Amino acid sequence: MSTAYLQASGVEVRFGGLLALRDCSFTVDRGRITCLVGPNGAGKTTIFNVITGFLKPNEGSVAFQGKSLDGLTPQAIVATGIARTFQNLRLFVDLSALDNVLVALPAQAGEEPIGAIFRPWHVAGAQKRRREEALATLEHVGLADRAHEFVRNLSYGEQKLLTVARVLATGAELLLLDEPASGLSAGALEGIMALLRRLQSEGKTLLVVEHNTRVVQQIADEVLFLHQGHLMATGSPASIISDPALAEIYFGGAI
Amino acid sequence: MDFLFSYIALAEVYVLLGLSTNLLVGIAGIFSVSQAAVFGVGAYIVAQCLMTETMGFVPAMLVASLACIALNVLVTLPSLRVSGDYFVVTSFGIQLLATAVFINWTQGTGGANGLPGIPPPDLFGFALESNLHLVMLTTVAVALGCLAFRLIMRAPFGRLLRAIREDELAVAAAGKGVLQAKVSAAALAGAFAGSAGGLYATFLSFIDPVSFDLDASILLLTMVVVGGARTLAGSIIGPFLLLALPQVLTFIDIPTTIAASARQLIYGVLLIAFMLFRPQGLAGEKL
Repeated sequence: MSTAYLQASGVEVRFGGLLALRDCSFTVDRGRITCLVGPNGAGKTTIFNVITGFLKPNEGSVAFQGKSLDGLTPQAIVATGIARTFQNLRLFVDLSALDNVLVALPAQAGEEPIGAIFRPWHVAGAQKRRREEALATLEHVGLADRAHEFVRNLSYGEQKLLTVARVLATGAELLLLDEPASGLSAGALEGIMALLRRLQSEGKTLLVVEHNTRVVQQIADEVLFLHQGHLMATGSPASIISDPALAEIYFGGAI
Repeated sequence: MDFLFSYIALAEVYVLLGLSTNLLVGIAGIFSVSQAAVFGVGAYIVAQCLMTETMGFVPAMLVASLACIALNVLVTLPSLRVSGDYFVVTSFGIQLLATAVFINWTQGTGGANGLPGIPPPDLFGFALESNLHLVMLTTVAVALGCLAFRLIMRAPFGRLLRAIREDELAVAAAGKGVLQAKVSAAALAGAFAGSAGGLYATFLSFIDPVSFDLDASILLLTMVVVGGARTLAGSIIGPFLLLALPQVLTFIDIPTTIAASARQLIYGVLLIAFMLFRPQGLAGEKL
């Protein structure tokens, strides 16, 4: 049996008396776009926090490319090739778009004070190359002409694109995107969907939390349906969306 | 002329402290109110080394810087666990603790009476006794400090610290070590404050706990706020401006008993006024 690209096994997270994730298990296949759906409070962001090391699960484990991620710091997990965005963006609003991307580039010269002070020319030279790299990343998401703009002057859609640029800058192969399409205008929505498909065609694997069923239908290869912290169903977008029981849960069947 | 030299030398010592405070508070967002304590430790170490003739000025400065690096990392460590408001309270406690030690450890610090008769700095067997020589020494020190500050601001390290001030979690998610960066910033700020302390002690030849108490820490913050956070210019303008104030007050005909409290009053008003009406200071960015 081949090992899954990303595998969550029996993950359980308790917040006091609340069971945010219970026996949550799923796999993500390499090179695919997997959408994580489910009603509010289903545990979608919580599982992101577990995968990226921001939250230690009470039970269970996560493995990436056959290697366990248990006990790794967020920093170490990014180094294995997983990076995430946040639902509330968490951009550095007082920095330029370019600087936001530059921060995320791995292993930079002059990232600690000794090198910064005692090897200024080396650092300056290296910075010049890294700026090119960061500009190329911005270009890739369509923000090249906004590179020197402060984040607070960018539109919401541009800010969302910038969060994608920032995860790309880390060099990660598996991208965890938390609601990349929410709150966008129709035009921006098309743009981001096209970008996600392009990233897939370039070999990235995407795990995407998404509420918009139209977006899910258009981009997902595989859908994971999370309910009350548990994987309830998995399948193609069409099969998940057409399942009346799931639709009932999703659209508030409790009424 | 002598008067002008001593003003410049003192202001330059405070520029080093301003750089230290700006780095820690302005750039890295570690809101420390105990920078004067670190400054004091540097001053007492250099004073003791020179007075007991255990070593010369340069090695004493080195020892003081290293000790202050260690100390500042230690006192900043709580900021890695508790954030924002909680750290201010912790840092406040550290400052009070340091003042208590400065006042009560009479063998080491001379207690409230202070340490008089600290020898002037010596460089390569040459004692720097005149104010002109001292100004040259502090100017070289400040020039080096400013250069280091500027290089850091332009390097990825400076950008990383700014990002940490804005959003630590996002920095961690970008795969960067928040802990190492904060410890490095604290170490640098410690080295700056420690060497400022050594220069201060040898320049004045007398130190006492009043120079290193909570008021002094707040004065440093005021300098950064008035001068401007996160810029080199701000770190220079603040100390020069605020230290000119007592000199200006001597021209006004008020009793000396009132002058000291008048100064504190003006510092306080300045701090509030700048925070309210010009948070970016004279030449800086919003704190």
